[in-house]
Amino acid sequence: MLEITNLTVAYGPIVALDNVSFSVADGSITAVLGANGAGKTTLVRTISGLVRSRAGSVRLDGRDISRLAPEAIARLGIGHVPEGRGVLAELTVEENLRLGGLSRADRADRQAALSEAYELFMPLAQRRHLPAATLSGGERQMLSIARALAARPRVLLLDEPSLGLAGRVLTQIMARIKQLVEDRKLSVLLIEQNARSALSVADDAVVLSLGRIVAHDRAQRLASEEGLRHAYLGF
Amino acid sequence: MQRFIVLTLNGLTEGSIYAAMALALVMIWRATQVVNFAQGAMAMFTTYLALFSLERGAPYWMAFLVALLCGLLLGGVIERVLVRPVESAPPLNIVILTLGVLLVLEAVAPMIFGGQIRSFPAAFSIVGIKLGSLQVPFSAFDLFTLASVVFLMVLLLLLFQKTDLGLRMRASAFNAEVSRLLGIRVGRMLTLGWALASLVGALSGLLIAPTLLLYPTYMDQVLVFGFTGAILGGLDSPPGAVVGGLAMGFSLSYVGGYFGSDLETVGALVILVAVLMVRPRGLFTLRAQRVV
Amino acid sequence: MAIRLARWPSRTTPTLGRHLALAVGAAILLLLLSSQIGAYDDYNLAEVAIFVIAVAGLNVLTGVNGQLSLGHGALMAIGAAARLRGPYLAGATLALAVGLPQIATRYSHVFGGEEGLTVTPPGPPDWLGADFPPERWMAWIAIAAALVTIVLLANLLQSSVGRSFKAVRDHEAAAALAGIDVARTQVHAFVVSSACAGLAGSLFAYWSGLTAPAGFGVALSLQLLSAIVIGGLGSLSGAVWGSIILVIIPALTGGLASSLSLASSVANNLPLAIYGSVLVLAMLLVPNGIDGGLRRLLVLARTRWTGAPSTHKGVVDWDDPSGG
Repeated sequence: MLEITNLTVAYGPIVALDNVSFSVADGSITAVLGANGAGKTTLVRTISGLVRSRAGSVRLDGRDISRLAPEAIARLGIGHVPEGRGVLAELTVEENLRLGGLSRADRADRQAALSEAYELFMPLAQRRHLPAATLSGGERQMLSIARALAARPRVLLLDEPSLGLAGRVLTQIMARIKQLVEDRKLSVLLIEQNARSALSVADDAVVLSLGRIVAHDRAQRLASEEGLRHAYLGF
Repeated sequence: MQRFIVLTLNGLTEGSIYAAMALALVMIWRATQVVNFAQGAMAMFTTYLALFSLERGAPYWMAFLVALLCGLLLGGVIERVLVRPVESAPPLNIVILTLGVLLVLEAVAPMIFGGQIRSFPAAFSIVGIKLGSLQVPFSAFDLFTLASVVFLMVLLLLLFQKTDLGLRMRASAFNAEVSRLLGIRVGRMLTLGWALASLVGALSGLLIAPTLLLYPTYMDQVLVFGFTGAILGGLDSPPGAVVGGLAMGFSLSYVGGYFGSDLETVGALVILVAVLMVRPRGLFTLRAQRVV
Repeated sequence: MAIRLARWPSRTTPTLGRHLALAVGAAILLLLLSSQIGAYDDYNLAEVAIFVIAVAGLNVLTGVNGQLSLGHGALMAIGAAARLRGPYLAGATLALAVGLPQIATRYSHVFGGEEGLTVTPPGPPDWLGADFPPERWMAWIAIAAALVTIVLLANLLQSSVGRSFKAVRDHEAAAALAGIDVARTQVHAFVVSSACAGLAGSLFAYWSGLTAPAGFGVALSLQLLSAIVIGGLGSLSGAVWGSIILVIIPALTGGLASSLSLASSVANNLPLAIYGSVLVLAMLLVPNGIDGGLRRLLVLARTRWTGAPSTHKGVVDWDDPSGG
């Protein structure tokens, strides 16, 4: 279980997250919604250790990870698909995927992770030996997600996965993630601007506005709340 | 024609040494975006350590190994202790820092080892090889120089391209943040990158010492030629560094041979400026311009 | 972008007056100082003043305009300078710095070869009296030249030209969009900087009585570069601090080394070792240079005494009229 308690983050005098608390249960998806600048990306960057919090804690199964280095947090099983530029463009597609599986000790297991990724993302298989720089925006996003999954994370932080992806591909990816959530009790924190599609896959949802939580409920219930939808979600 | 062959072979040998120095500089540039001006002085210091070991009765190859391992260690320690704390400082600060390291090493070496010019033994004969009755202007030591540089470069290529460690190191150099998100200990990879680069630099110091003789500043010109070679090839490209270093070797040899040795550097400079006029970021740089 | 706005006369005129007043004040103080100290100290004072000229000039190029040159100046003649960036410019100029002395040695009939040319320094004029020390006269000339240079540079940097220097350093693309000719601006900075280097070089020749290629090699370029960073990048007062350090450290450590009874191999190299260590430590401890460090102390002190936080955060741009 990922627990976030009283998390406060500031860049100089600007408070980006103000006393945020919620938790993501094992085997569930929590959507984090909100407008640009609401603090969504800051939230995931703080969880994965790239941004230091000013107060509060992030716990993984009861252990406080908020003072650990990003690489240590990643090794505990928190995978982070960063917004936009997560792909190492100078490396080949296969090298990018191999990086995802490096934390696994077993060689056969690593190979399995590779073939699993190619099976799920066919376009990547065709370009496995080309530099990732040659991929389209959508293919890069696929690679970034596939690489995170290859690490078999326990918690997956997805920052705007819909960016640049065709609707059909996104549905396919989300179906796969949903399956992992059920089979392996994966926890997912899904950052989205596109609230409608996020709410359709999520179990719970948190709505951020200017760094504060303004709503936190079951996803279905939030989707049906007319006032909230108009005020914060724009649909 | 015979003169041309002599100059070409000479250029090849010296070029391989400049290529090693250029490669060391490029490896460090790729890992940490630092031009390490202390690279030559570090190689000078480790070569003195080899001589020191020899004088205390160590076998030649043991001394050779001592120098290479000390190079590895020195590079790692300098990255970890001096460069890491200033990694986010303006580039010029890091340049000054490496200059400071250069000065300290060049001042401390004569304090420990004495400032006079010393000769450094070559591993093999420096007299030209005999093929039948014909004596070629290429000695066994020249062959060893070329072979050891090629050998080390092949090892590095295998390390970077074929191993997980090499993959981690490349990823760390290209994008530290994404690498950390993938659980790679980027700090260790950068330290290791400096260490390996300094080993390559140490090799160049050992190989050129029999020709140049050993004194505290003997590597300064190798650093300048290696740096010029690296710039020529493009600072981001290891193959470029090798080609650039070799090009420096050939051009210095031809200019020196045909126009007089006192114009060597000027000739190299003319080539450098000519290449940079056409390709301001070197011959082999493919990546888009780094936005500083 | 306040690039064109700087032409307002109401703003530049009082600044010029202020700079001149400061310069006259400094001149009087320095003349008094030079009359009170011995010949050797006058000799060092002249050296500091000469370095101030070269370092301030280099600071315009590197600190204010953001170009790194290790061989200063002559690449411009080939027209390549404006196209090269960062380490590439550094590499080209470094090769140049190594190559130029070779040319001077080769064409020795013009340049005097490795021995160089001897220069006879002008003696003090008769009206100062027959026993006026020539070292003090040298110091006066150098100080006058340094003050004139500083005033000229300070005014230049406050003009539209200076603003375009900084605009190009901070963001080339944005500067180009604002209508600044980037290549031309960089060449301007090179010209200003080279003029300072030329003035300092000729004074240096008078000061040392000799000009030889080896004296102007890479080592000197590197010394100047370290002076601007230790003093404070992009700051004229930093240039003064850096020059003082450049002269004081060798003078002090040379004295220290000879006063301790050390083996000659240690004593001869101790000054260099200390100088190198100072460079390393300065970069680790005061990354913004002495100027930056002093300003930070000032801000801290102000905050402590008045209780109110200062309006200035961190390093204040040296030519900011409100921050000087």
